[in-house]
Amino acid sequence: MSDGQATGEPVPATRIIGQRVPRIDGGERVTGRAIYAGDLVRPGLLIGAVKRSPHAHARILAIDTSRALALKGVKAVVTAKDFPTIVPGTIIPFGETGADLWVAATIAMARDTVLWVGQPVAAVAAVDAHVAEEALALIDVTYRALPAVISMADALADGAPALHPQHKAKGFDAGATIPPNAGARTLIERGDTAVALANAAATAEIAVDVDTGHQGYIEPHVCVAEADPQGNVTIWASTQGAHQTESQVAGILGLAQSKLKVVPLEIGGGFGGKITTHVEPLAARLAQIAGRPVKMTMSRAEMLAGGSGPPAGARIRMKVGAERDGRLTAIDGHYLVDTGGIPGTATTLLMQASTACYQTPTIRLEGMDVVTNKPRTEAYRGPGGIQAAFAVEQVMDELSLNLGMDPLAFRRKNAAVTGSVMPVGTPFPSIGLTTILDRVAGHPCWTEPLAAGALPRGRGLALGYWRGTSMTSAAQITISGDGRVAVVMGTVDISGTRTTMAQVAAEQLELEVDDVAVVMGDTKASAYSDAAAGSRVGRTMAAAVVDACQDALAQLRRRAAERLQAPEAGVSYARGVFHATGGALAGSISIGELMRQTLSDGAVIGRGVSTKLPFGVEVGAHVVDVEVDPETGRVEILRYTAFQDVGRALNPTAVEGQMQGSVVQGLGWALTEAIDYGADGRVRNASMLDFRMPTALDVPAIDCVIIETPVPGVPYGLRGVGEMPIVPVAAAVANAVRRAIGVRLTKMPMTPERIVGALAARGTS
Amino acid sequence: MTSIVRSEVNGEARDGIADPRDTLLVYLRDRLGLTGTKEGCSNGNCGTCTVLMNGAPVCACLVLAQEADGARITTIEGVADGNTLHPVQAALIEHGGTQCGFCTPGIVLSAISLLGENLSPDEHEIRHAIAGNICRCTGYDKIVHAIAVAAERMRAPGGTP
Repeated sequence: MSDGQATGEPVPATRIIGQRVPRIDGGERVTGRAIYAGDLVRPGLLIGAVKRSPHAHARILAIDTSRALALKGVKAVVTAKDFPTIVPGTIIPFGETGADLWVAATIAMARDTVLWVGQPVAAVAAVDAHVAEEALALIDVTYRALPAVISMADALADGAPALHPQHKAKGFDAGATIPPNAGARTLIERGDTAVALANAAATAEIAVDVDTGHQGYIEPHVCVAEADPQGNVTIWASTQGAHQTESQVAGILGLAQSKLKVVPLEIGGGFGGKITTHVEPLAARLAQIAGRPVKMTMSRAEMLAGGSGPPAGARIRMKVGAERDGRLTAIDGHYLVDTGGIPGTATTLLMQASTACYQTPTIRLEGMDVVTNKPRTEAYRGPGGIQAAFAVEQVMDELSLNLGMDPLAFRRKNAAVTGSVMPVGTPFPSIGLTTILDRVAGHPCWTEPLAAGALPRGRGLALGYWRGTSMTSAAQITISGDGRVAVVMGTVDISGTRTTMAQVAAEQLELEVDDVAVVMGDTKASAYSDAAAGSRVGRTMAAAVVDACQDALAQLRRRAAERLQAPEAGVSYARGVFHATGGALAGSISIGELMRQTLSDGAVIGRGVSTKLPFGVEVGAHVVDVEVDPETGRVEILRYTAFQDVGRALNPTAVEGQMQGSVVQGLGWALTEAIDYGADGRVRNASMLDFRMPTALDVPAIDCVIIETPVPGVPYGLRGVGEMPIVPVAAAVANAVRRAIGVRLTKMPMTPERIVGALAARGTS
Repeated sequence: MTSIVRSEVNGEARDGIADPRDTLLVYLRDRLGLTGTKEGCSNGNCGTCTVLMNGAPVCACLVLAQEADGARITTIEGVADGNTLHPVQAALIEHGGTQCGFCTPGIVLSAISLLGENLSPDEHEIRHAIAGNICRCTGYDKIVHAIAVAAERMRAPGGTP
């Protein structure tokens, strides 16, 4: 096995890339001046509210809105009848695969059948929130309750009611028995794992269950929609993708996209949960009918109990085998993913994410999404990654124990390297995993012995991988009369993108960050860009900004050549000044002076579009020390160190912020966060007190170690950053708990109750 | 029945009309137009709507507007002196303590309340002071560090605003 030290392009010296530039929009954030959609007031503003299904599964027999419409102050009521029917398979543009508009339409408003508690069945707009709430109570919905399947086991049982009888489950062999409520089956298979496992010197297996979680963004879903008499609609939105919101809402309303403008305002966290629209189509239709603007805000309870799309629960079985020397011979995995009420949650991402860090001669991964009467799941930071790693990184840890091998040495021996075979069968692009593991091996978090405490302590290690995506990003750059620069992005800023793109433009144009303004464009002022999702915006928008800068610079150079009466080839550029050599007039002119003299000759507009950029796969390793109280089951995180290869850190402060935020989100799901569904499908913990996210007191400082192995073919060698660092967290904690108390936790979150239960079960077995 | 609430908001006398159902949060945002105070959960769990009432941090969603009659209220809009930022605000920007920014106003006010009582807090005391403010973006590290930096600057002669 060759050393995995990646051979990327040499890292070019940079002036501003890699600097800890503070957020250029920080001032408005710390003063309360930043504008979020909920802050917006428009003349005549109405307040919207949603009536939601109390049933997990029911037929809608009738909806009578007459009493609500008769209430003074109610201006509009809508139901599914007010929207065109969207059939499954109505694909709209989104990234490499497109998106099924039927999913967003079904999430927005139930038609004929409700599939989960909390699914919208009607919406109102009224003069204030109190009248709107009163009106909801006056909408009479007649249901015929149907048998519901809440757990995946229920959904797959013989004779279970099929929630989508017309759905054709893909990926099954001809003649295979397809269980009820199967979404789609995916199989990745190379070599014969059965034979390899039978011949292995050591094996390990595990079966884990992961509860449904939540992204937990602090800003609820919110928008303001307004329609004008010419039929134009504007939506001020909290969204990860203004252009995605435009195409979804236009499709759901049956409105020409040219008539819809989406203005992205600040987004108070998304983490994947603000890619699909929720209240936006309802607010838009209400605004059209009422002829007045409508604000819709989801309450926290609505968000947790069916109003938003939580990340998927999962049930995963793994079996792995190795030679006596620790060389892996087989990975066998079976993944069930709870997609909620609508099929189509991809299992391939988590199947790959969980196993990509390892080289193995045989692999068999089988995955299926399962439809249940729960909210349709949506993306959450590295979708499926943390669930899958909870299984794989635990079973690998168990295998290293069975082999009597150090867990780091075991992983080093089997680590994927540049050019080794990925689970999908293609060679790995540049990857610095072995570099990371070598750094772990020399780091105090690994070399310093874990001090004994009054309670049992353990140290855990886990790896993480995330492929991320590329999709498309667009930017335009204009040069103002003083030579300063404005960048308009087609993507929103969810992670400091304004700041990092100001760095990219300043680097490219050899100016200062202060010379660059960066704007999130609305959908009529910016060019099509996919959503901020899949760890892609930093890389792909950087590529677009680089192109736009070079385009603008070429235009400026032509102007400078004219002004300096020099051949274009004789004009050089450095630090904001063009220098002419070899022409009639030797001399120089700054961009500022050039623009002052030539602004009215016509605008300089630089154009940048990036598509199909090479993937910037993300890898990392996490090391955690825990202390476990066997009496109470409480896990305390003593120390946490996160290692990650980011290709090149555009802004180390921003990179650390992504890593630390990811780790703490991961600790939340690892230890306390779960949506608690009752047998009737109702959520029993729809508050932030009972859906318990980490506070500042629950977590220690998170140490970050940034490693830079550049990706060839990407500006500055950038990799994705924001998603990978949530992937290993729960597994790292589980491995530490195992070493502290000798018990494997197979249910996530690893609540005190479950830890005490696992200890008790060991005691009685 | 609506009533008039007379209070001192950010150092200025403000009279406003409040419905008996209005929380202080609704009153500040919708009646006074002070939208810097954000709503995250409306039941006191997330701390996002933290303001100072008579100098003490409260969740504005748990206080009725009419309870603010006669009170002294400080919201995020009243923290900076014009465009001169409070040391807590400046340090949050410099040290990456604000990401999406939605929890930031509440964090700023909790931190200012802490530093009003204790200008030399240790890490645990800082974490304790902001434990009622949920942040989902930062993992808290950079916020804690920024507050420590602000405290250090405020301890210097002439450093307290």
